[in-house]
Amino acid sequence: MNTLISSITPNIPWGIDVPNYFWFTGSSAAAFIISSFAHVFGMERYKPIAGFSLLMAFVLLVAAPLNLIDDLKQPGRIFNFFFYGWENFTTSPMKWGVILLLAYPVLIFFEALYIYRPYFVKKMAVANGFARSFYGFLTLGRSGVTQADLDKDHKVGKRLGIIGIPLALCVHGYTGYILGAVHANALWHTPLMPILFLASAMVSGTGFLIIVIPIFQKLFTSMGSVNQETMVDLAKLLALFIVIDLVIRFLWLTFAMPFNGEEKYLLYAFFELNFHEVLYVEYLLCLIVPMIVGFSALRENFMVLYIAGILSVVGVWLFRWNTVIGGQSIPKTSPGFLSYAPDIVGQSSIFSVLSNWGILIALICFILVIFPWDEEMEESYSKRVNHGK
Amino acid sequence: MNENNSRRNFLKQGLGVATIAGLSASSASALSLQNPGRDKGEASYVGAVGKHFVMVMDLRKCIGCQACTSACKVENAVPSSQYRTFVLETEIGEFPDVRKGFLPQLCNHCDNPSCVSVCPTGATFKRKDGVVVVDNTICWGCGYCLSACPYDKRYFNTKTKTADKCNFCAQRVDKGLLPACVETCVGGARVFGDINDKKSEVFKLINSFPTAVLKPEQGNKPQTFYIGLDNKISELLNSTQSLDDMVKKHEGIHAEWSKTMIKEM
Repeated sequence: MNTLISSITPNIPWGIDVPNYFWFTGSSAAAFIISSFAHVFGMERYKPIAGFSLLMAFVLLVAAPLNLIDDLKQPGRIFNFFFYGWENFTTSPMKWGVILLLAYPVLIFFEALYIYRPYFVKKMAVANGFARSFYGFLTLGRSGVTQADLDKDHKVGKRLGIIGIPLALCVHGYTGYILGAVHANALWHTPLMPILFLASAMVSGTGFLIIVIPIFQKLFTSMGSVNQETMVDLAKLLALFIVIDLVIRFLWLTFAMPFNGEEKYLLYAFFELNFHEVLYVEYLLCLIVPMIVGFSALRENFMVLYIAGILSVVGVWLFRWNTVIGGQSIPKTSPGFLSYAPDIVGQSSIFSVLSNWGILIALICFILVIFPWDEEMEESYSKRVNHGK
Repeated sequence: MNENNSRRNFLKQGLGVATIAGLSASSASALSLQNPGRDKGEASYVGAVGKHFVMVMDLRKCIGCQACTSACKVENAVPSSQYRTFVLETEIGEFPDVRKGFLPQLCNHCDNPSCVSVCPTGATFKRKDGVVVVDNTICWGCGYCLSACPYDKRYFNTKTKTADKCNFCAQRVDKGLLPACVETCVGGARVFGDINDKKSEVFKLINSFPTAVLKPEQGNKPQTFYIGLDNKISELLNSTQSLDDMVKKHEGIHAEWSKTMIKEM
């Protein structure tokens, strides 16, 4: 028997901001993919929420990197990230963020401009002064609304969507790489990490739309009510994505523990330590329950579905937390697991995460004021009804 | 109208010129492949070309006095409760067959350092003489290197607010002195030198005694070699509970960071 008499306890470097960042980029990628169901793959049933999802993808990704800046010990040196260290570009997944975090939001923004261009033209026609030139700017200088112009919007929007799909997968997949590349960490070091992150991101992104869409449909459109059909479509998507997520997690956990080598002992100890939280909260309550709702007639009940959406969003956030914070709690040279409790205020604290959510809400309001999403959404619904007849 | 136009044109042109000037000014320092100090080839960034510094820890001689720990803290102005090096102390066996075990640890100055390859700002790098250093004027404190180090030998310096770690006392070595921990080691357990020099003590020790490194499976190729490293000690690194923590728990001491105990494996 060995007993340790004295050692030092290291601090874990990444705090609560990092799981929050991963959640934001993931949900953004998912919202983009869902918008692409309509914009790229022409799936008409998602058309009414495609534009809205695209705008959500944009704001989520604009708010996301603020988490990273807040988690830095020297946020004032952010330009060093752009200027120096290009030698490590191939070996440091974090460095890939320079390109991805800049290119992706710009691309989404332009796709949104093309999709909403005809509506901006309409707004421009009735506006005066600054508003007129502002909307004129957003039309990118094209004010024609002939069929040829609309076709061009559609074509460019689709092309941007096609480029955007791999970019969206990369912008979240790279966060999986950031963790997966760390071979010092038994929990993170798996090639499944990027896929695992993408799969759970689809769950949180769908859950996020289930939470947000009804609020805006009910309160800020002239329809004045939630479209039940859309909610059911989202519920089905949610359940499907949870199945995919569970399958990949099953692959991950089986190869990480029973079929692993030396690392399995630490991971067994880790999951034993967090057993109840992981099994009952993360899996049973936040994945299995929403999946059952999505697959069963329960999805017809608005409140039940809404709660399922919240649970799935919370569950994925907990998964990010358990992966990022949990992974760092695994001892590398110190005996015993490390524990972490975020500060209430200050950098990388509970308050900074809440502030980030505040910024997200502000950005959502801001972008939804500028973009005529409600008009586009109503038009898509009315087209669908007409087609139905 | 004309006046307006010319003013607008003036503003447009001015804006254009300013943009170009701004871009070219920043591109002078922009997109550096390494970092400014290395790009300029400054001596403290390059190190002693042709040498390869390593450390040998003769565990048979270590008595766990922590003189190295304190010498390091003084030499490098390491903030309180933070350490670049320390000696882990353990009890091996059961009474009456029991002995003390010590494991002095510091940055392994790996030949394939996983902390360096992930650094997004080029702040940490390996000098030509094998010393892995951190440029704390460049580091932005993202913590990726802290996560990537398999040996937990990096920490956020609370004074500089950057990643920090043992640098083999490069400031002393560059002047021909020994690292502070080596110079102060009372038992002569810590030996430092240039492995490329066949007359050096480290060369002789490594070639005359069986040596081992910590966590070789990580593939980092550590350059801190241990004589008399026992599996009982190295396995301890991530298995049992700490008496320190047991005392803390018993006494009800709660730091922000503390270890959670697990049952013995």
